Amino acid sequence: MLIVVDPSSGVPVFRQVMDQVRFHIASGLLQPGDELPATRSLSAELGVNPMTISKAYNLLERDGVLERRPGRPLVVRELDPEELEVEKIDRLRASLTDAVRAALQLGLENDEALRVYGELLEEASEEEQS
Amino acid sequence: MNVLEMYDIHRSFEAGVPVLDGVDLTMAPGEVVGLLGRNGAGKTTLIHIAIGMLHQQRGTVKIFGLDPHRQPVEVKRRVGFVSENQILPAFLNVHEVVELHRGLFSSWDDEMARELATRFAIPANARIKTLSKGQARQVALLCALCHRPELLLLDEPAGGLDALARREFLETAIQALVETGTTILFSSHYLSDVERLASRVVMLHESKVLIDNSIDELHESFSIALVPHRPQGTSDALLALPECLGVRRRTDAVHAVFRLDPDDACALIAARLGITDARCRTAGLEEMFIEIAGGER
Repeated sequence: MLIVVDPSSGVPVFRQVMDQVRFHIASGLLQPGDELPATRSLSAELGVNPMTISKAYNLLERDGVLERRPGRPLVVRELDPEELEVEKIDRLRASLTDAVRAALQLGLENDEALRVYGELLEEASEEEQS
Repeated sequence: MNVLEMYDIHRSFEAGVPVLDGVDLTMAPGEVVGLLGRNGAGKTTLIHIAIGMLHQQRGTVKIFGLDPHRQPVEVKRRVGFVSENQILPAFLNVHEVVELHRGLFSSWDDEMARELATRFAIPANARIKTLSKGQARQVALLCALCHRPELLLLDEPAGGLDALARREFLETAIQALVETGTTILFSSHYLSDVERLASRVVMLHESKVLIDNSIDELHESFSIALVPHRPQGTSDALLALPECLGVRRRTDAVHAVFRLDPDDACALIAARLGITDARCRTAGLEEMFIEIAGGER
């Protein structure tokens, strides 16, 4: 699974893991029923304390994103289309926090900031198509 | 029961110059504590006192509920220790050093020893004096781990190792954590290693414990505020706030570390100092360490 952590980023590692799992679910990279790596193997792979991984997994389970069945690996829970939409919007909001702060610090008008976002979106989708 | 309980530890090597001045440290089973502090902050002294290699001048130490000076054998049987300055007998070969340790511990795990020896790929007949620094440290780690200690004390274990050797060392410690549930106390100047491995961080500063928090608290409930210099006396006013851990005067601004999340820190600075254009943010351990160790309190 594509999870990368940067322990020096100032964002707790358990949160980095949670954010990436949720992002992969929202983007469809992780599908309902997909199994997550066991705590100890992900912990060894990323070189982080296993308790950090189990904390991330437990919180994702509490949030209803992952499902634990006795004696089986943790799997991605099936989200209904409405939940999935909410999840996508949540992920986008989370990744825009820094951009919003920058717009405020730069003193840009809201309209101006929105126009830049629109332009970037258009450029990116044109590139995707070509 | 706590694995380690140290209360009110005092130690100086020179009259009137305390290295440790009333230090408390307790560790619950399975905890991984990263011990931070500048060179000379007393990290090694604290670890040596914990394991009974050094006497404290005041205070009490209990390790598995035992006194490390009264029951040294029982304590050492259940502890693993690796330090940057560890000296293995130079004239022995790797096999002989491992055999020496194997003979000392009834709980020695042969399978684990074989597995680590294979992973480290160090020839059994190589003499210790011919090993690289990284290989010698790996032999020391093997010897410290294979009796499956309940407490692992690592004093700057990654000092002098290259990035790959450090990562392998880290992975081996993680394996001990997963398989044995070992409690770990380690000191390190590699703060990204601390962020990977530690569940809790204890920082020694000016002979005392300045910070003792979970790593997640440090990332989310501590912040660095960049406060513009004017008016005069800003840094003193910041230092007077009980939530402020230290300030560092820079040319552009005063940097202050707060025991508060960024929003609360900014709100406090605005309310108490009337400064509304401070910028507060969370930070990684390295930045936090530099601001505290290089600042004034």
